[in-house]
Formats: sequence, C-alpha cells, structure tokens
Amino acid sequence: MDVLHTRNFCIIAHVDHGKTTLSDRLLEYTNTVAQRVLTAQHLDAMDLEKERGITIKSHPVTMLYTAKDMQVYRLNLMDTPGHVDFSYEVSRSLAACEGALLLIDAAQGVEAQTVANAHLAFGQNLKVIPVINKIDLPSANLELCAKQLEDILTISAEEAILASGKSGIGIQDILEAVVQRVPPPRWADYPQTRALVFDSLYDSYRGVIAYIRVFSGVIKAGDMMMLMSNGQKSEVKEVGVFMPKMTKISLLEPGAVGYIVTNVKDTADIKTGDTITIASKPAQDPLPGYKEVRPMVFCGLYPLESNDYEKLKAALGRLRLNDAAFLYSSESSIALGFGFRCGFLGLLHMEIIQERIRREHDVEIISTYPSVVYHVKPHGKPEIDVDNPVNLPDPGTIEYISEPTIKASIHIPNDSMGDILALVMEKRGSVEHTDTLDANRVMLSCVLPLNEILVDFNDRLKSITHGYGSMDYELGAYSVSDLVKMDIMINGDPVDAFSSIVHREKAEGKGRVLCEKLAEIIPPQMFKVAIQAAIGGKVIARDNVKEMRKDVTAKCYGGDISRKRKLLDKQKEGKKKMKMIGKVNIPPDTFIQILKN
Amino acid sequence: MSEIISAPQDTPYAEPLGVYVHVPFCASTCDFCAFYQTTPTADGVDRFLQGIANEAALVSWSRPVTTVFWGGGTPGLLAPDDIRRLGAILQPRLGGRPVEWTVEMAPASVTAARLAALKEIGVTRISMGAQSFQPALLDGLGRQHTREQIFRAYERIRTADFASVNLDLMFALPGQDEAAWLADLNEALALAPDHLSTYCLTFEEDTKLWVKLSKGQVKLDVEHEARLYETTWARLEAAGYAQYEVSNFARPGHACLHNLNTWRMHEWIGLGPSAASQHAGWRGANVSDLDQWLAQITRGERLSEDRVALTPALLVEDALIFGVRMNAGVDLAALRRRFPRAPWAAVANETALLTEAGLAGITDGCLRLTPRGRLLADSVGTRLMQAFSEEIST
Repeated sequence: MDVLHTRNFCIIAHVDHGKTTLSDRLLEYTNTVAQRVLTAQHLDAMDLEKERGITIKSHPVTMLYTAKDMQVYRLNLMDTPGHVDFSYEVSRSLAACEGALLLIDAAQGVEAQTVANAHLAFGQNLKVIPVINKIDLPSANLELCAKQLEDILTISAEEAILASGKSGIGIQDILEAVVQRVPPPRWADYPQTRALVFDSLYDSYRGVIAYIRVFSGVIKAGDMMMLMSNGQKSEVKEVGVFMPKMTKISLLEPGAVGYIVTNVKDTADIKTGDTITIASKPAQDPLPGYKEVRPMVFCGLYPLESNDYEKLKAALGRLRLNDAAFLYSSESSIALGFGFRCGFLGLLHMEIIQERIRREHDVEIISTYPSVVYHVKPHGKPEIDVDNPVNLPDPGTIEYISEPTIKASIHIPNDSMGDILALVMEKRGSVEHTDTLDANRVMLSCVLPLNEILVDFNDRLKSITHGYGSMDYELGAYSVSDLVKMDIMINGDPVDAFSSIVHREKAEGKGRVLCEKLAEIIPPQMFKVAIQAAIGGKVIARDNVKEMRKDVTAKCYGGDISRKRKLLDKQKEGKKKMKMIGKVNIPPDTFIQILKN
Repeated sequence: MSEIISAPQDTPYAEPLGVYVHVPFCASTCDFCAFYQTTPTADGVDRFLQGIANEAALVSWSRPVTTVFWGGGTPGLLAPDDIRRLGAILQPRLGGRPVEWTVEMAPASVTAARLAALKEIGVTRISMGAQSFQPALLDGLGRQHTREQIFRAYERIRTADFASVNLDLMFALPGQDEAAWLADLNEALALAPDHLSTYCLTFEEDTKLWVKLSKGQVKLDVEHEARLYETTWARLEAAGYAQYEVSNFARPGHACLHNLNTWRMHEWIGLGPSAASQHAGWRGANVSDLDQWLAQITRGERLSEDRVALTPALLVEDALIFGVRMNAGVDLAALRRRFPRAPWAAVANETALLTEAGLAGITDGCLRLTPRGRLLADSVGTRLMQAFSEEIST
C-alpha cells in the first residue's frame, strides 16, 4: 500500500479519559479484531496495566479502513504510554506519527496530562484532532470543553469531534478525520532507508524484537541492518506488522509500522529512539530526537528473606530484558544485607518494577528510600553523579551539590489553592504562574526539586483536593541547593540504609521522625542506646531506645537448668542472626519495618 | 569433671552432694504447672517406690549426701507408710544424716500422721505451696485448697516442729493488683515462716494458663511484673527476710542449702520420673513418664533426656549464668581457680559493660547484680554465654 494511503496516528489523553475504550472501538469498527475476541482493553497486555488503567509499553496496531471516498487506507494506531516517567518513550511514539487524537473527558474537561500531552504533540508537529469523549455522560459539559480547548490549548473548538467510546458514537467521524486531516507519512523520499525504533521486547525464543516505524526505503528479512547511534550491525531475520497480533510479511515499506526480529540478544543494544538503516547503503543523517535515557530515581531493593537473593537477581535480570531503561547492580548494606541498587525513569516506573517483582516473580522485597541523581562538584575536580547517599564525598571536599528539578503543572480546585501553595512551599517549590482553567479550577505552573515529590507529594495533592487535583511534570534543569548528607546512628554507628541527602533546613525534622521511629521499633535494651541523626558528625536530633525492664526466669532449680540453658542458647543463636550495630543487637526486621512505612 | 571434684582448696569441706526425688503424684493439675505428675493409685505408688529402689541401686554413691529434696508432683500426698518406705529406701544410701532434708507439701494434704512420718525419717524442712491466700486467685490457678486449709496446715507443720518451714507464693496472677499482692505477702509474713519463695507467674507451655494467654484471655504486662518484683523485695527486706536469689528469701540461717548447691553447679542425684541429675560426669533427666521410667530402670538405664557430658567449660558457664541469680553473686576468683582456661578476658569485658550500665558490680572478687540487673538476669546470662562462645570461636 502506498504512502498516500497510509496514516500514522496516536491517541493522547489524561488517565481515565477513555483512551483504551476508544482504541478498542476503532479496532472493532475496522474489523481488525472481531468483537467476540475483543476483551476489554485489548491493547494493554500486562495485568498491571489493566489494573492501573495505564499503558506502560506501547502496542501499535495496523487497521485497514475503507473511507467515504471508497479507498482503503492503512491506519497505524500507536498506543502511547500515559505517564511522565515514560515521556521520552511517549515522545518517540509521537515521533513515529503524523497526527494525534487528543481525548478530553466531556465531564472532566482538560486536565494536567491533557495539556502536557498536547504540548508534546505540538512539539512533534503532529496534526492534533480534538475528540470530546464520553459525551453521553449526564455530567458532560460540552460548552466548557470547547472553551477550554480554545483558551488553554488554543485549538479551534470547531475541529472537535464529539464521541463516546462506550456507546460507539462518533467512531466513523474519527476515522474519517484521521484520513482527511492527518498528513501522509513524512520524509518518505529520503534516498536511504531510515526507520525509527520506538520500543522493543525480548522474546526468549526469538531474541530482541524491535518495534519500528519505517520513514523511507524498505526493510526485509535477510537485510543487514545497522543502528545509527553506534554502528552496530545485525541481520534482519523477520519483518512483520501488528494485526494486532504479530503477522509476518515480506517487507516493510515507507510509512509502515511493524516489527523486526534481529540477532541482537539484549534490548539495551537496540535503544528506543535509535535510527535503523541498511548497512550496505547507510543513511547519512539519523532521524531527529534520539537521546540516551538515564534513570532519574534510584533505590536499593533487598529480598525480605536473605535466601531469596538469587531469586531476586533472576527476576531483575528478566525484567531488564524487556526494559532497557531499568538498571540494577549489586550492593550490600549493613542493615539489610545483600541486595541491588536499582535505577528507574521515575516513581511510577519504580513502583511498577517493584510490583512486578512481587507478583510475577514472587519475591518479597523491601526498598530503601528513593534518591534522585545529584550532581556533586568536588573542589578542583569535575562534577560527579551521586545516586546513593553512601557515595557522597566528604562534605569538606564539596564545592556544591545540585539537584534535578521538575516543571510541574498542577490542576486544582480554586478552594484548595491555599493548602496547595503551602504544600509547594513546604516541598521547596515555587509557583511560576497561575492560570484559570474555568470558574472552579486553576492551573499552577511550579518548579519543584524532584527529590521532594518522590515520597508523598502526589498522595497529599490528592488528599488536599479530595481527589480532584492532578499533576503532570517534565524534568527541568539542575539547580544548586544547600544539600547535606544526614546519617542515622545507633550508639554512634551509622546505619547505612537510612543515610539520605536532604536539604539542610529539612534535616532536623526528618531526622527527628526517623530517630523516634527507630527508638520505638528497636526492642527494649539492657543498655542505654542513643539513636541520633547527624550531619557530618553534628547531632541534630536524638532519641533513646526504651530500657529493658524485666527479663528473668522466676524458677530455676535443678530440673530447670537444662531447660533454661536451651532457652538461653536459643536466645543466643537468635542474637547471632541479629544485626550488630553500635554494640546493639537489632532484630533483622527492624529496618524493614521502618522502611515499610 | 575431675576438675571440680578434685578442687578441695575451694572449700574446706568435701564437695556437697544432693539427692532429688521426684514424686510424680498430684490430686489434680494446677493451671500454671508444667511439672510431670499423674493421679495417684495404690498400684502406681507401689511401682514408683519399687522403681526408686531399683534406680538407687544403679547409682554409684561415692560420698555422703549433704541435702535431700523431695519435690513433685506432691510428695506430701504419699501415705505415712509410703513416706516411711521411701525414707527407708534412701537412708542406706545417704552415708549419714543429711544437713537438710526438704519435702514439698500441698495445704490440702498436710496431716499430723504424714508430718509424724516425715519427722521420723529425718526430714528437716517443709516447703508448702500456699501460692495465695485469696480464694478468687487460688481458684484462678486451679488450686484445690482453701485459705483456711493453709492456716490449718501451717499450724500442724509448726506443731510438728521442723527446723525450717517455707511458704511458696505466686504473684502477677491474672486480676491481682499490687495491693492484692501486698495483702498476700502480709498474710504470709504474719505466719512468720523461716523462708519465703515468691514466684512471678510464668506461662509455661502445655499449661492451662498458656492456653489462656495464647487466646488473649490473660495478658502479659512486663512493667507490672517488674514493679511487683520490686515491691516484693522491698517488703521482705523490711520484714527481715534477706533475699538470696531472684525468688528466694530467708531469715538468717534458713536459706535452702540444696538449691544453693544446685546453683553453684555442685552435684546432685535425681531419682524418679523426670528427675534431673548432675552427677559423675553427666547431666540429664529421666523420662517424664512413670511407665517408661520404670521400663528404663529395669533395663539399667537412667538420664535418657537432655543428656550432656559435664565439661569444665559447661560448668563454668553455668556457674556464672545461674550464679548471678544469687545475691551473693559469683566468686570470680574462686571460679577462675577452678577453671583457669575459661575465656576470662571476655567475661571481664562483659562485666565491665554491665558495671558501667549499673547492672552489676564486683565486690570482694564477687560478681553481683544490682537490683536492676537482677530483674534482667536472663539477658545477663545470654550475654555471658555470648561472651563465652565468641571467645571460643575466635
């Protein structure tokens, strides 16, 4: 099928605005999937995705549609990940398209993610087709949606298609708009073969399968392909398209969205955003926009049961095969034993990986406090990256530390403005400007340190706004900040798992909370045990473990001696299993209990 | 073993030797009791006495017996003639008159006839399990006696004129507050016994109380228990009863010698089902079943349970961990002379830590726990054991 009869598009929306349901309707309408096999949310393959209503991995699908002009068009629908953690993946999926359906929930209106995604689409020069979805809801407010489209997104409301994925309203209108409004595939006449990698997966039988969008030239089985980022070559073993199942075909033409099976063994070797060309006739310029994705959030993952170490290692290895953005390396901690330092794109990515380890690989794990990647500048030396507080150089040698910030757009009801401003202040953020969304809602554009939103920011936003608030963010610049390493010590010995890099002004409060928790959880001790929080040897908070009051056997006669010995022996053995920190025997689950909440 | 037996320089006397006889019969099972006992039958008692005779014949009686202790069960439940029979079985083995001969009795079965029989065979000390004077609490423990029976029994024992009389009391009973416990203590003091044993209620596995605890029907309150310990110690000291062990108090000259010798890791011979022994190089216990015990004795076997060889290392460790329970403490210098190869550096290290924390002190070469330390004697014991094993492993 020629380029003129091909359209590549995606659907972008805020969470829960009906993206997946609408996708399913399109597949159904074009008979790509028979209705009886169309399970709800056909495109979201992982259980976790269905459960959370989010898309983590992209799932393209090719549909054949006979338009009103009686011509058959090949419509490639790219499903995009819906979360900021995967914004680079989103941008690559968008880069593979020429148009985007921008979905707006008729009852909810424009939300934080709607705005962020629309801007991403504009950034890729995509033709944006607004679709007001769920118009059959009793609470639908079409007027407001139209006004928001014009005011916030500067899109003419006349372009909007009214639809309902649930009831199948407006489906043909949408398909017609895709054919009429989305331009045919661009850059098709570039002289050599160029294809964009927008995702990849690892198949244990076939190796790495790359998902690609061909821009120019053709790719077929037997070709020797080359990755333009590093010149690596590999034989193409098979090419095919998504119908929606992977279907082998003879060759992929310009404008095609499909897959290639390669000889490559590691997904990390075929990176999202890379350009594939043909080794014998290579392209000179790669497709624009490729970048190396680096993890932004790190934490330690440890098995709850130390004998699960190997099992955890195997689980991480398997997850890594399908997720080149996820990094891990082994580390050990005095408090938690042997485990792994893991790097993630963001918080959601971290949560998802942890959840998959638990569910799909059945390993119970505990994670340390997440950390961002700091840029640390020692005197007279170049900047280094520090993602683990343990690796922070001696404070005396540091010229400055800078931390990553985010640009957040926060949508909230007017009446929670005061509380949200206080929250942003508390999290060391600043509000750049405020926009009115409608009579009841405002949008705050803020800059916040990434570190501050890692733990409870979103939960608090939701609770302050009774669930109505939403937030989206993109990474901003690094910014120098008064950051210090805070250690938690038991009788003067630091507990490595609790060291953290915090803003100097927040150290005392955080230190006090940790000291209190530890003092409460560590069982009563015979000796006075001090729990201290310290910055470079200076104690900023302290607490004492409760002193043991009574531990004595009442009756201990001849017959009791063997019994008593056994009991004491058992206690002695139990103590061997404990962690010895600051001459205090600490039960192995103490740290786990604290990290759990 | 030869080390402790052949250490005459420690004491001017020969090494003491105790005899413990476990009389396994009880009229009913108390809710707190985990000791082996069974309902008495004429045939059972008969076979028991024959078994004791047979077991005594298996033991090598190397030297005179210093102390005798009949525990149970309820030894006082034996009929006067059976008391005489048991006495007659033992007497030829004792090598003379023991310094102290204790028999445990329950208030409900103290009769003049039994007391006369005990007196006749040479018993010097009666230990009566009063536990409490308050009917509700007695009932809660599943005890079969009444408050009046305690008074009557005590009167009879005093009339029979034994050299020493002990009362056992229990505290931290479910529903017993500090005032109620003080009331019990005062009632006991009013009787002016020579010795008092006060036991904090312990939830032993396989007891009715344990079941109640695991069902949440009763609760443990460590702070409450600790306070009652302190109340007890203060009250008894004021009344002229010196504490000589965690749960034991006596007027001058009335401390229980048999128990003191046990805690000092001297030797004793245990006879009867479930009885423990520490003698002739071995520690261990007989099987806790009358029939199995009889069968083993018939085959010439003893101490089939928890059997361990007595090494100097074990004995010095136990002398320490059980010794610190006593107010006199542990004579470190004497112990060091007995066991020069023990890890004394580690022990010194540990005692220094304990001293610094106000849990122990060393006076006249004796390691003694402070009152606060005594409340933590088990933890202290565990740490001392740890000090021993760390030293050995390095």
